[in-house]
Amino acid sequence: MNQTLDGRDRIVRTQGVGASVKRNEDKRLLNGQGEYLGDLQVPGMAEVAFLRSPVAHARIRGIEIPEAHKGSVFLASDIPFAKPIVAVSAAKGFNASDYPALVSDKVRFVGDLIAICIAPTRAEAEDIAQSCIVDFEDLPAVWDIDVATAAGAPKVHDHWADNVYVETRIETGDIAAVRAKAEVTVKRNLRMGRHAGVSLEGRGVLAHFNRRLDELTVYSSTQFPHVIRTIMATCLGVSEAKLRVIAPDVGGGFGPKNNFHPEELAVAALSMKLNRPLRWIEDRREHLIASPHAREHRYELTAYADSKGKILGLEAVVVVDAGAYSVWPWTAAMEAGMSAGIMTGPYDIPVYHARAISVATNKSPLGPYRGVGRSGACFAIETLVDAVAREVKREPADVRIENMVPLEAMPYRSATHKYYDSGDYPTCAQMARDAVDLPGIRARQAKPSPDGKLIGFGMASYTEQSAHGTAEWVARGLPVVFGYEPALARFTPDGKLILFVGIQNHGQGLETTLAQVAHEELGIPVADVIVRHGDSSVSPYGMGTFASRSMTMAGGAVSIACGQLAEKILRIGAHLLQAPKDAVTLRDGKVFFGQQSVSFAQIGEAAFLHPERLPEGEEPALEANAVYQPGRSTGAFSYATHACVVTVDPGTGHVEILDYVVCHDCGTMVNPMIVEAQVVGGVAQGLGTALYEEIPYDDNGQPLASTFLDYMIPGATEVPDVRVLHMETPSPHTRFGIKGMGEGGAIAPPAVIINAINDALKPLGAEIGETPATPDRILDAILAVKPAGAAA
Amino acid sequence: MKTTVSATINGVAQTFEVEPRTSLADVLREQMRLTATHLGCEHGVCGACTVLIDGQPARSCIALAVTLDGAAITTLEGLADDPLMQTLKASFHDQHGLQCGFCTPGMLMSGWDLLKRKPDIQGQDIRVAMSGNLCRCTGYQGIVRSIEKAAQTAKGQVSQTKGAAA
Repeated sequence: MNQTLDGRDRIVRTQGVGASVKRNEDKRLLNGQGEYLGDLQVPGMAEVAFLRSPVAHARIRGIEIPEAHKGSVFLASDIPFAKPIVAVSAAKGFNASDYPALVSDKVRFVGDLIAICIAPTRAEAEDIAQSCIVDFEDLPAVWDIDVATAAGAPKVHDHWADNVYVETRIETGDIAAVRAKAEVTVKRNLRMGRHAGVSLEGRGVLAHFNRRLDELTVYSSTQFPHVIRTIMATCLGVSEAKLRVIAPDVGGGFGPKNNFHPEELAVAALSMKLNRPLRWIEDRREHLIASPHAREHRYELTAYADSKGKILGLEAVVVVDAGAYSVWPWTAAMEAGMSAGIMTGPYDIPVYHARAISVATNKSPLGPYRGVGRSGACFAIETLVDAVAREVKREPADVRIENMVPLEAMPYRSATHKYYDSGDYPTCAQMARDAVDLPGIRARQAKPSPDGKLIGFGMASYTEQSAHGTAEWVARGLPVVFGYEPALARFTPDGKLILFVGIQNHGQGLETTLAQVAHEELGIPVADVIVRHGDSSVSPYGMGTFASRSMTMAGGAVSIACGQLAEKILRIGAHLLQAPKDAVTLRDGKVFFGQQSVSFAQIGEAAFLHPERLPEGEEPALEANAVYQPGRSTGAFSYATHACVVTVDPGTGHVEILDYVVCHDCGTMVNPMIVEAQVVGGVAQGLGTALYEEIPYDDNGQPLASTFLDYMIPGATEVPDVRVLHMETPSPHTRFGIKGMGEGGAIAPPAVIINAINDALKPLGAEIGETPATPDRILDAILAVKPAGAAA
Repeated sequence: MKTTVSATINGVAQTFEVEPRTSLADVLREQMRLTATHLGCEHGVCGACTVLIDGQPARSCIALAVTLDGAAITTLEGLADDPLMQTLKASFHDQHGLQCGFCTPGMLMSGWDLLKRKPDIQGQDIRVAMSGNLCRCTGYQGIVRSIEKAAQTAKGQVSQTKGAAA
């Protein structure tokens, strides 16, 4: 008999927390029997194509609908009851704006929704959209942060005084004193490009009215169906009790499916009005131009350090291009606020002053994308740490590790008011450094390479807040406080277990890992546990899957609910076995008293069908509800160091990754196989941010990457075999000590790649400070420092 | 203007009406309800819609159905009983070669074709051969390992069969 993680004697954990169990959800997906939004059909359904704005900024003077298509084209005036989406941060001075289902007065970005066109097929609906003529009065496009913030700039939202959603500040410690005593001052201006989330399945909505239940059913490829129901009911002016939101199988989320979209509202509203099933499936071009975008950060950073590179204080200005609208529920303040709010990362930097500015432009709204804010912050601080190391002429790995929060300082309160619960950051960094053999790399760099390529070593570390509870979300001032998660654990009379949870599983393996938690508590085989999620009418109200929260939060709730059931099963089992309760144990779906046992099927039968067999006073039925909140609501902090080795071809600017190592600590791992794959998948996405993915805009506000021909996501040949090293420091504040980790892999790659490139370019005296680090940008950096007259 | 097309789909003779612009993927998904074939980009880049046309892997999103009169088309559903596909699926399960599952049918079709042609393929060669199929979840590591393992398993199965025959 093993001990469980909290010390209680219970069951052998062959399938429980810590086991690399193969996934329950694989079978249907491998057989092509997953049901994604586009696989759903409802009789009488029409297909939707949106008429989207082809221009960035213009007033709508009129919309001409061909006679033949009247009745198939619907404007804002056709769904007047649909209230605009309003996402306002509680931050002081936040400028509010409406995000309507369909615009009627002016368009604010290429892709803005003007009309809904319906037809029996999508192709015909697109024909109808193309036949409509919109009379635009062009307005100057606010296509860039500098354009938006220039004096006299045209305004994205006419009723604002300028184009700034909000500016927030953090001021910790005496920056003037640090400035005065610093021996070294290092400044850097950095940029992270705008890109898209690119789930392989785009977004999509299918709405139809259920006559029998007097209920609008909305299928959406979303990460949080319950929360969508809440805001959709508000915007439609109906009761949540008359609305059902279902997320079917979701083909990747990564953040862009974690907003309430005007497309969801428009399709639902028109379906309600017409009393007709409608389906919209986002195509790739729509996704690239009009799904909520990712990143687009600019940084002005100043580090004040001593002569050894110990950073005494930091100043940061974070400016984010948040696009045309504030997305619900995150608001336009999220990226800049989160970046500035985690800027000091794993470092013990006591003095920190920052401004976080969110700017409105005529571009697709910015939304959450794996790593939210922190990919930018990590890129900024880590590039700066390397710059400090170069300035003081020391090994960046040493300067980095010396600046870290030491083990003995844990738990640690950062200058950004975050409470780091546990962890050993320096050891993690050393493990990553040692795994890539830094002395060996330095020796190779000392000799010229035969092919002229430059070798570079990069390292980057981060700390990631996960399992944020009530206090953290309240502090961020969002419209919804995502501080808890529920679970309903229900046995069937034949002894199987169904878990009803409020999270949504779209690749994370939660149909397996939550079953592992149930196994941990009940000894029930993982294969006997079904996890039901993604349906607002089936599960208890829950917050969904985002912010690296589901395993910690839903795992905690499943643990409590199953723990309650375990007690009841032991009582019933002991009674049926005529044994004392403290002499029976749970194992393999049975209650044992010595060699005798009763199965969960027998217990289920007694609980549901034969209450006369139950102990006196025992309630019939076998189900339990629980709600979990972590012990501290300030979060459990995962962390990692990534280290990599690259070559840079100074002739072409091409970067090749030779080695990539991640050493990470997400507390107790429920399923190490899944954890490792989440890390690797995250790294692949982060490499996209670092090297390939970008949607530039021209000065008309036109997006310049709108297909997979001009927008590149990493393919199998772009992603190296990532080596993952695990550390496990359980969080003292969560059930089993789990820390969230879904996003982490995507946080460090931009930083580690830029650091490796700059390490390679060091002999040339060149440096790059922008992602994606395309060959052109690298060549520009090299040319910028070449002596005048030298050959390119 | 609709045209009548006759083709064999997963071994069954089918006749269907299409517009000149109708893609094979739309015929399979919307008319035949064979929804294992997924659409990730609809412009022939991501590979999620990969099927076999006359035994060759092809992008069903940019294959016009009207050109396929008389063709034999095989989707993932049509290989349900194929031993190599079963081995490949088992390897994807064992090596965690899928997360959200959306790219998976295309990966399986391309992987199956690859193993038919190059049963000994390994490592970096798999990455190159599979570079026409995009995945956003896995970072490809699990997919590469899955195909590698399937190659080993299939080889074992073949040699067992040969041994039995001898």
